[in-house]
Amino acid sequence: MELRRYITGRLMQITLIFFVILTVLFLLFRLAPGDPVTRMVDPDMTQEDSDRLIAELGLDQPLGVQYVIYVKNFFMGRFGYSFHYGEPVVDIIWSRLPNTVLLFTTSIILSALVGIFLGKIASWHKGKKLDSFMTLGALVTHTLFLPWLALLLIWVFAYKLGWFPITGMISEEVWLDPESGFVAKALDVMYHMVLPLSTLFLIHFGAYLLIMRSSMLETLKEDYILTARAKGLEEKTIRNHHAAPNAALPVVTSIGLSLAFSINGGALTETVFTWPGIGRELVSAVSQNDYPLAQASFLLIAIVVLLSNLVVDVLYAYLDPRIRY
Amino acid sequence: MTNAEQKMRVKAPARFPWFESFLEGWSIFKQNLLGKIGLSLLVMFALMAICSYIPPLINPMYNPMTGVDPDILGCTGPSWKHWLGTDFMGRDILSQLLAGARVAFMVGVSAAVMSVALGTAVGMTAGYMGKFADTVLMRLADMIMVMPTLLVVLLLAAVFGQLNIWTIVLIIALFRWPGVSRIIRGQTLTLKQRPFVEAAKVAGASHMRIIFRHIMPNVLPLAFLFMTFRVTSAIITEAALAFLGFGDPGTVSWGMMLQWVWKTGNMFQAPYWLLPPGICISLITLSFYMLGRAMDEVLDPRLRKEDQTD
Repeated sequence: MELRRYITGRLMQITLIFFVILTVLFLLFRLAPGDPVTRMVDPDMTQEDSDRLIAELGLDQPLGVQYVIYVKNFFMGRFGYSFHYGEPVVDIIWSRLPNTVLLFTTSIILSALVGIFLGKIASWHKGKKLDSFMTLGALVTHTLFLPWLALLLIWVFAYKLGWFPITGMISEEVWLDPESGFVAKALDVMYHMVLPLSTLFLIHFGAYLLIMRSSMLETLKEDYILTARAKGLEEKTIRNHHAAPNAALPVVTSIGLSLAFSINGGALTETVFTWPGIGRELVSAVSQNDYPLAQASFLLIAIVVLLSNLVVDVLYAYLDPRIRY
Repeated sequence: MTNAEQKMRVKAPARFPWFESFLEGWSIFKQNLLGKIGLSLLVMFALMAICSYIPPLINPMYNPMTGVDPDILGCTGPSWKHWLGTDFMGRDILSQLLAGARVAFMVGVSAAVMSVALGTAVGMTAGYMGKFADTVLMRLADMIMVMPTLLVVLLLAAVFGQLNIWTIVLIIALFRWPGVSRIIRGQTLTLKQRPFVEAAKVAGASHMRIIFRHIMPNVLPLAFLFMTFRVTSAIITEAALAFLGFGDPGTVSWGMMLQWVWKTGNMFQAPYWLLPPGICISLITLSFYMLGRAMDEVLDPRLRKEDQTD
């Protein structure tokens, strides 16, 4: 019951934030220097088509009316047409969303789990060689420049060794072959995902490792750990069942705090590996002056960030009952 | 109460309190291996930035942006004339690398100073005023905090066209203050309860005087610590932006160099061009990070949880 109230509260906050973002975007695209019509309507369209689109987007109306139409259009999923693809923007971003979510969630979950696991080990060997090695390794991988790491991985593992494809998400011969079933297709995507996933994983796990390590060291000073020791429990039980679950809480918080950072990284990774996700779509839309697509991709990314924040909050509230005040 | 404050309280009054506490901090800092490595690396990068003025003076062909070797019009490997080789137009990679150090410091430090100043001001105001101002400012901070800065700058580039380097710095600063303001606010909240603030209030000090004379000196060390983390995030954001092709075309940054090697399709053939800028960005990030962690320990070992990933 408490949890439900907490979630409702957070959901309302997030809705409010989203409306602010929606409004700021509206003002940005309408009030920036230049003609807003050129920003929303493809210059290559026929007169008839562009008139229809101007009417649909309300670009001939006063600003207040435009805003109402804009919000309505947002909920109807009408974002106009992409200049580059000539297709409705909403179709494009819907088809890219699953690819982004797949790469993004897999990388975050994987790096958090590995980070927690290794951080636990590092804290257990505090001051020894293994600890220094892990801490330094985490620092170094975490501070690598992401696009450069991606290029290096491509260079070594795709170009020199030829183990993995250089770019893309699917191989045409597998997907066009009517024989190949779901398993073959899934394996093909996984095969293409290895390098982008490794890039994101290498950048992110270090931060989680360092946070887990210091949080674990704090937790080990707590009284209940002393109690567990006094009871004569095995060290392994104390570490894995008494200390680790509590120590992992700050990691969950930091996932939330670093989401914006992860999203930036996701967009860069998608661009370098030409992974057909929203981040890459935003980057290419901006470089092609494809305003409707850029605006819609940004909105969708904002939604993804806000919802992931909600997921992290809920997860945290679930893991730590003290938070549900 | 943090260690730093404890130190401040027990310390005997000195003629130059700032200098004294600096010396004290330095003696702790000196024992920190990571801090020493970080600082040495930074000194090296600073030297690189200073040296960036030398090559164009020797020969105009070493100008990082416009200098082209008349004998070489393409991408060549390292030689005596060009220690790190030349890029696709025959420009010297080493001079570009040195110029990149200058840009990185410029971008990193100016964005960090601005965002930390803004964050400190907002944090102190929110913490000191409380109530309505606190709620509004902190909700605003929460909102900006979840925005991915890189993509925000991209979107602004879409609307306003090519952004110059100072606009980019300004946008980064405007989107990177919330983390700082949260910490400063927390610190201000505890400081507000202290007897010396009460005493100042009773003595009739104005709000402005209390904020600037009594609270600010106590939160500045903390703000300074955050400066190092902000420097790295600004450098990375600028580099990533340049890498994606939205940097200032008038500056040679490391991100720009990586974009050239990537976009001109030379990355498989020219490791001497691909490796140096990436190593530099990663190392400068690492060194500021190490410095930050070391200063963290000087100021307060328990502060470490916050904001490490960004």
